[in-house]
Amino acid sequence: MANGEAILEARGLVIKFNLRGRALTAIRGASLDLYEGETLAIVGESGSGKSVLTKSLVGMLDRNGWVDSGSAMFEGRDLAKIKDERDWLGVRGKKISMVFQDPMTALNPLLTIGAQIREVFELHHGLSGKKADYAVIEMLERVGIDNPEERRRQYPHEFSGGMRQRVVIAIAVACKPRILICDEPTTALDVTIQAQILGLIKALQRDLSFTTVYITHDLGVVANVADRVAVMYAGRIVETGLAEEVFYDSRHPYTWALLSSLPQLGVKGKPLYSISGTPPNLFNEIRGDAFAPRNPKALKVDFVAEPPEFAVSPTHRASTWLLDPRAPRIEPPPAILAMRAKLGGSSSGAAGGRL
Amino acid sequence: MGPTRGGRGQMLKYSVRRLLQSLVTLLIVVSAVFLLMRLLPIEGYFGDGYDKLSESQREAVLQKMGLLDPWYVQLGSFYAGLLRGDLGTSTIYRQDVPVLQVIAPRIPYSMRFGLVAIAIALVAGLAMGVSMAKHKGRAMDKLWTGYVVFVNAVPLAVYLLFIQLYMTELLGLPLLFDKYRPSSWILPALSMSLGSIAGYAMWMRRYMVDELNKDYIRLAMAKGLPRSTIMVRHVMRNAYVPMAQYLPASILMTISGSIYIESLYSIPGMGGLLVDVIQRQDNPMVQGLVLIFSSIGIVGLFLGDLLMALFDPRIKLAKSEASR
Amino acid sequence: MIRDSISAGPMSPEAILAAADGLDPALFEPAAFDASAGERGGYSNYSYWRSTARGFLKNKVALFFLVLLVALLAFTFVQPLLPGQKSPTKIHIDPATGMQYRNVEPCAEFWFGTNTIGQDLWARIWSGTRTSLMIGLIVGAVEMIVGIGFGAIWGYVRRLDGVITEIYNVLNNIPTTIVLMLLSYILRPSFKTMVIAMCATGWLGLARFVRNQIVIIRDREYNLASRCLGTPTRRIILKNLLPYLVSVIMLQTALSIPGTIGWEVFLTYIGLGLPVSIPSLGNLVNEGRQIMMSPELRYQLLFPTVVLSMITISFYVLGNAFSDASDPRNHV
Repeated sequence: MANGEAILEARGLVIKFNLRGRALTAIRGASLDLYEGETLAIVGESGSGKSVLTKSLVGMLDRNGWVDSGSAMFEGRDLAKIKDERDWLGVRGKKISMVFQDPMTALNPLLTIGAQIREVFELHHGLSGKKADYAVIEMLERVGIDNPEERRRQYPHEFSGGMRQRVVIAIAVACKPRILICDEPTTALDVTIQAQILGLIKALQRDLSFTTVYITHDLGVVANVADRVAVMYAGRIVETGLAEEVFYDSRHPYTWALLSSLPQLGVKGKPLYSISGTPPNLFNEIRGDAFAPRNPKALKVDFVAEPPEFAVSPTHRASTWLLDPRAPRIEPPPAILAMRAKLGGSSSGAAGGRL
Repeated sequence: MGPTRGGRGQMLKYSVRRLLQSLVTLLIVVSAVFLLMRLLPIEGYFGDGYDKLSESQREAVLQKMGLLDPWYVQLGSFYAGLLRGDLGTSTIYRQDVPVLQVIAPRIPYSMRFGLVAIAIALVAGLAMGVSMAKHKGRAMDKLWTGYVVFVNAVPLAVYLLFIQLYMTELLGLPLLFDKYRPSSWILPALSMSLGSIAGYAMWMRRYMVDELNKDYIRLAMAKGLPRSTIMVRHVMRNAYVPMAQYLPASILMTISGSIYIESLYSIPGMGGLLVDVIQRQDNPMVQGLVLIFSSIGIVGLFLGDLLMALFDPRIKLAKSEASR
Repeated sequence: MIRDSISAGPMSPEAILAAADGLDPALFEPAAFDASAGERGGYSNYSYWRSTARGFLKNKVALFFLVLLVALLAFTFVQPLLPGQKSPTKIHIDPATGMQYRNVEPCAEFWFGTNTIGQDLWARIWSGTRTSLMIGLIVGAVEMIVGIGFGAIWGYVRRLDGVITEIYNVLNNIPTTIVLMLLSYILRPSFKTMVIAMCATGWLGLARFVRNQIVIIRDREYNLASRCLGTPTRRIILKNLLPYLVSVIMLQTALSIPGTIGWEVFLTYIGLGLPVSIPSLGNLVNEGRQIMMSPELRYQLLFPTVVLSMITISFYVLGNAFSDASDPRNHV
C-alpha cells in the first residue's frame, strides 16, 4: 500500500517523435506521482502513450524520440534532462527496472540463463565467482524456478514461456530496484500462468519492497493488483485515483467509456458497447479535450479549452470540464450506473463538491 | 554450443543430403564440360603442326585421340578415364605429357595462397565489420564503407593491377613471385583476400545491426549494461556463429581472384596455368583445369555448408531461402 | 494545475472561476455530437514513391554520383557529335616525318594522348565506354527480364519451387569465372559471345533474389488477408509485392553493369575479350597494362581506368542508395 513519500514526481512531460520529417507529440503533458511501495496501473488503449511514458523514465525511447519539456524528479535528479547515455547507467536496471511483454524473445538464445542473470549482479553489485553464483541461485529460487543449481546452466529455449518470464523478472529485480515497470507482462501468457506471474510480482514486491508500475490494457489485471490507477488517453493522463475510486466513482467520460467496454458488463442479447471513432492524430495540435469528438456528452468548452485537473478527493483527480462547478450535472452512462449498483459502490457525487 | 541433443541426427541427414547434392553437381558439371569441349575448335589439338598436316593426317591424329568416335563412346571413355585419374594428354603446352602431371606440381601453390587468403579475409573482414557496426553512421563506418564500395565497384582486374603497380614501388616489394623470397608472398596473398574482406565486413555489419534490433538486446539495455558490453558479449558473440554462412561464397571468390592474381604475379599455380593454356589453346589442358577448378569449387562449398551447419544449433532442414 | 473545488464563499464559485479563466459560462452546455468527427483520425500521408524519393534525395553522396553518372553518360554519347573529334581507330601520322604519332603524351592536339600505334586515346576511350556500356545495358536488360520472370515463377508457383531450388543449388556451385572463361573459349571471343556468356551467368542472381522476396512475402498475413478479401492477383502483386521487389531489382540491375564491365576487363586480360579492332574499356585497360611499367606511358592506363572507375562506382553507389531508399522498412 502507498505510504507517504512520493519517490518519483513527473510534471508536464511532453515527448515527441520525428516521423518522416514531421513531429508527432506522443505525450502531451503528463504528470504522475509514484509513491513508495505502491502498485500503480497505467491503463489506456494502444497508442495512448503508456509505454512511451515509462520508457522515457529509463531513457529507452526509440532513436527518433525525445523529451521536449517537463520534468521527472527521482532521487533528486531530473530524469527528463538526462542526455548522455552514460548517465542512465546508474539508473537503468539498478534503480528502475523493466519487464517486457514477450518472454519468448526477451532472452539471448545463445547464453545460459544463469549467465544472463549473473550479468546484472556483476554489473551493479560487482559480484563475481562463487558469490555471483549464489546470488543467481538465490534469485532463481525466489522466482520459483525449481532446481536452480542445475537449471541456471540451461538455455532459454529449454524453458517455457511462463518460466522465461520468471527469469526476466529475476533479472529485473536482482538488484533490488526502487521501481519495477512491467509493460504488459502477462499479455503473451496463458491465463493460468498470468495469475502465477502476478502473484510472483506481488510477493517479490512485498519481500524486496519496491514500487510496481503496471502498464496494461487488461482491466482484470488492474483489478487484481493495483492500488492506484492512472488512465491515459491520447498522450495525457486523464484520471488518477485509488483503484476503488476509478472503478466505482470514475469521473472522466473516457473512463466511463473504457469501463463500459468491458464485455463482462454486456447484457445478453444486446450489442456490446464500443467507443465510436478513433484516437486523434497526434501529428496535429489538439484543441480542447482530446476525447471530445468521441464523447456524446461533451460540452462546448471541451472543444475550446483543455480541461485542467480537478480534485475529486485528495487521492482522486480527473481532467474533465464536467467537474467544473459551471458544468451541468451529467450522469455516467447506464452501464456504469448498473455496475455500481450491482457492486454497491458509491454513486457519483455532485460536481467537485467533496473534500 | 554445437547441435543440441536431437540435433546430431539432423546434422548427419543434412550432411548426407549435401554430399549427394555435391556429387550430382559434380556429375553434371563434368558431363557439361565434356559436351562443351566437343564444340572446341580442332586446332587446339594440333598446335603449330596444324597447317603442316594434310587432311587425312589430321584425321589420323584425331582418331588416335578418340575424337572421332560416336559421342556416347567418347563419354564412356571419358568417365572411365576420370575414374582412372586420367585427364588426357596435353597437346600444345607440354606435348604428350599427361594433363594431371602438368597440373600436379601447381596445386600446392594455389592451395597455400588460397588458404592464407581466406584466413586473412576472415580475421580482417570480421574485425572491419565489427568496427563498422560499432561506429555505425560515423567516420569509421564511412571509411570502411568507402573501402567496400571501392572493392566492389571497381573491377578486380583493375584495382589489383594498381596494387601491383604502386605497392611494389612504394613498399619495395618484389613484382613477381619467387618462392625463394618470402616477401613476395605478401602482396598476392593480400590481394586475394581483398574482395572477401569486403564481403565478410558487410555481412558482419549487417548481421550485427540486425541483432541490435532484437528484443533481447533491449532487455540487455534495460539491465543497465553499457553499450560496449552489449556489443561484445551479446551481439558479436551471436554474430560470429552464422559468419560461416559466408564462407562458401568466400571460397568461390578466392578461386576467381586467384586466376587473375596468379597470372599477374607469375605464381606457378593452377590459375596462372589456366590463363596460359587458354592463350595457347591447348584443349585437353583447358578441359582438365576446368574440371579441377569446378571440383574444388563444389567441394569447397560443400565443406563450407557443413561448417555452417555445425555452428548453427538451429539447422533448418527445409530451407525457406535459397542462400548464397 | 489542480483546482480544488470550493463549496461556499462570498462569491459564487462559478463567478470566481469565470473571472479566473475567462471562459464564457455559456460554453458549459452540452455540445451537439457529431459521430463522424471522431473518425477523422488516421495517418494516411504515406506514399511509397514519395518516401522513396525523400530517402534518395537526402543522400548527398548518391546525388553527387547521380550527377556525375548522368554527365558521363550524356557526354559519352554526345562526344562523337562534337566538333573536332577524331576517329578512334584512325592511326595518326605526322605529315612531316611520315612516322606514327606514337605514345604522345596528353597535349592540345590529343587530349588524352595517343597509344602505342598512334591512335587518339580520347576518342578511343569514349568509344570504348560506349561499347562497354552497350554490353552492360544489353546484358542488364536480358538479366532483368529473364531473372524476374524466372524468379517470379520460381517463387510463386509452389510446385516448381523444390525442383528449381535443387537445380539452382547445382548451378550455383560452379564458379562463374570458369563458366565465363569456358564459354568464351569455346564460342570464340566476339561481341556476341561476350553478351551471351554474361547473360548466361548473370540472371541467376536476380532470379534468386526475386524468388526469395516472393516466397517471404507471398505467405505474409497481409497478403493472405488480401486474398481473403478477394483482392485480384494483379493488385496484390502491384501494391503488396512490388514495393519490396523494386528495391531488390534495382539494386541487382545497377550492380550488374559494373559487374559486366569487370568481367569484360578480366576476360580481355586472359585473351578472351573483344577483338582488338573494337575499342572497349577492357581492351584499353589491357593495352595500358602492357606498358604500365614505364612511368611516362602510364597515362595510357590511367585514363581508361579512371573513366571506368567513375562509371562503375557511380552505378554501385546509386544502386545501393536507391535500394536503401526504396526498402519499405526504411520508410520510418
